[in-house]
Amino acid sequence: MRYALQRIGQLLVVFVVVTFAVLVAMRLGAGGHRELARRMLGGNVTDQQVDEAVRRYHLDSNYLVQYLYWLKGFVTFDLGYSSANSMSVAKLLAPRFWTTALLGIYAIAVGLLLAVPAAVIQAHRRDSWIDRLGNVASFIGFGVPAIVLGIFLQLAFSLHWHLFPAIGDSIYPWQQFGAHVRNFLLPTLTLAIPQAAIYTRLLRADMVATLQRDFVVLASAKGMPTRRILWRHALRNSLLSIVTSVGTSLGGLLGGAVVVETLFDLDGIGSQMVISVLSRDLFTVQACVAFVVFIVVVVNLVVDLSYSLIDPRVRMARALA
Amino acid sequence: MTRPRPLQTAGRPAEGPLIELTDVRTHFATERGLVRAVDGVTLTIQRGRAVGLVGESGSGKTVLSRSIMGLLPRRGVVRSGSIRFEGTELIDAPRSTLRSLWGREMAMVFQDPMTSLNPLMRVGEQIAEPLRIHLGQSRAEARDTTIRLLTEVRIPSPAERLRQYPYELSGGMRQRVMIAIALACGPTALLADEPTTALDVTVQAQILALLSEERRERNMTLVLVTHDLGVVARHTDEVAVMYGGKVVERAPTAALFRRTRMPYTEALMRSIPTVDDPPHTRLAAIPGRPPDLVEPPPGCRFAARCAYARERCHAEEPSLVASSDDPDHHYACWYPVGTVEPVALRPADPAAVG
Ligand SMILES: Nc1ncnc2c1ncn2[C@@H]1O[C@H](COP(=O)(O)OP(=O)(O)OP(=O)(O)O)[C@@H](O)[C@H]1O
Ligand SMILES: [Mg+2]
Repeated sequence: MRYALQRIGQLLVVFVVVTFAVLVAMRLGAGGHRELARRMLGGNVTDQQVDEAVRRYHLDSNYLVQYLYWLKGFVTFDLGYSSANSMSVAKLLAPRFWTTALLGIYAIAVGLLLAVPAAVIQAHRRDSWIDRLGNVASFIGFGVPAIVLGIFLQLAFSLHWHLFPAIGDSIYPWQQFGAHVRNFLLPTLTLAIPQAAIYTRLLRADMVATLQRDFVVLASAKGMPTRRILWRHALRNSLLSIVTSVGTSLGGLLGGAVVVETLFDLDGIGSQMVISVLSRDLFTVQACVAFVVFIVVVVNLVVDLSYSLIDPRVRMARALA
Repeated sequence: MTRPRPLQTAGRPAEGPLIELTDVRTHFATERGLVRAVDGVTLTIQRGRAVGLVGESGSGKTVLSRSIMGLLPRRGVVRSGSIRFEGTELIDAPRSTLRSLWGREMAMVFQDPMTSLNPLMRVGEQIAEPLRIHLGQSRAEARDTTIRLLTEVRIPSPAERLRQYPYELSGGMRQRVMIAIALACGPTALLADEPTTALDVTVQAQILALLSEERRERNMTLVLVTHDLGVVARHTDEVAVMYGGKVVERAPTAALFRRTRMPYTEALMRSIPTVDDPPHTRLAAIPGRPPDLVEPPPGCRFAARCAYARERCHAEEPSLVASSDDPDHHYACWYPVGTVEPVALRPADPAAVG
């Protein structure tokens, strides 16, 4: 528990440092706080509106104070005003946040669902045709850029066979489940396949090593069925790299999300961030970055805590630490 | 502490051959060539006996015992000969046949208790899983049996141990757990591959005593692999001495020590530590190197390191034959101990240069 709190503390520091750096970078070089306020509000604004913005966001104070007020806004979901969309950023981003978060979760889940059985079977049947096939598949899955894979899936499943919409709105599972699945399937696959490729390679290598360890041979000598040896004994002892990679590959995944959201016209944080940067929509960019960092922090926390779930020795060491 | 007699041994014949090896060969395909790790072993192991398998490092003890179990790598292994277990041929048996024997009929204790238990599974479950899978015991039954087994292998407060993970136990305790796992389903034969090398000396003696006791009480057959003839003397009925993948001397334990025939066995005996030695005395290792198992020398494989070797030993390979005065004592040697005077080793032979 103390360990968990420590980690949460560390990750909060990461969150603060990154969002502060972004705030400074975006507000730097505006040439005075009235000019900055004008930029943040965008378009034609009256002097009165500028004055109000300066007061509200404390633009005449130093960056640290500005940041603290921004942070206060963030935790109360007061994220400022989107100049490009003439609406509050919170309202703009709420549905987009869910689109990206769901895409990320689906991509990791589907990636693991594809990778774990593939890696276990490949390791078990090492050097057989099925192992080779798996290696080729993960090589391709790893090497193909998300944009190419996405376009390919779009062409094949939407334009050719008309199975899924090529572009669709972000419909949420709590709205219409069937339509949600249909709209999210191809984008999810586009993100999940490269993830699956990474996971498969890592897990296969770990499984191959684990299967040679003494305790696995002992499980054989006890007469345990192959299925039990693979899934109960070997798999759990091979999870370290794959769990770590869920955290480390998240950056690539979020990069892919930008591509996928744009390609499949899903309104998400990724695509919104690009649009907002181009239109110099400062509040929105700031909030998008904050959300992305938030997702990264949460996933890394989950990854970190799952080491304890997997390995009692880690649990022990952390309890003593 | 009263120890319930295990039930599983009922109804089995008490005597007769259990494991019959005929010209067993286990070779490994490697880049260097075929490694003849076990190269023509013929041996019969009687029911209920304790048989020692001794030899230097690399002589093939582990490979032989794993060959008997059928626990060899799936690929790159060339096997021939015959291994019969209770009459069933195992050499080319499908894995399903082996799996039906593993745990139930033959069980194994490995050398290193630190690496042989699953680090992420509770000790109790590791003992209980063969009980549940092989004997169909319910969760509660398996728990009771597990506690009984842990008591039997003298683990204190067994009910608490069940919930512990291997890292929470000492090496000796882990080896006791390994023995409990091996004994769980009442196997006919137990193969123990250097079960105490990884433990400290006082614990070694306890573990060996435990194994011997279990063997007697359960009328189990024990194959005890070791490089220590001292262990053999105390804990076995018969011994097979291995060198370069072959059995070079085989005898009832008492006969082997009373009248050693193979010069190699004699050399091994000189390397037994005695109680008079101060602790950590370096053992008198046999000079020279073990033979190349890819291209074994012609003649006797030990000839290059043998103080008694003559021309014939380098040219012609002796086969394992019964001694004229003791039909149970077999050895493979042209000039057994006591028949010729030792000579200087041939320095020209590169294999003799240690
Ligand atoms: N999988 C393998 N591939 C190639 N060679 C092997 C393999 N396993 C064992 N060997 C070789 O077979 C020979 C016999 O090895 P083995 O492990 O049976 O010796 P040992 O008598 O058990 O020795 P130790 O006392 O050191 O345990 C050694 O030379 C070893 O290098
Ligand atoms: Mg060995």
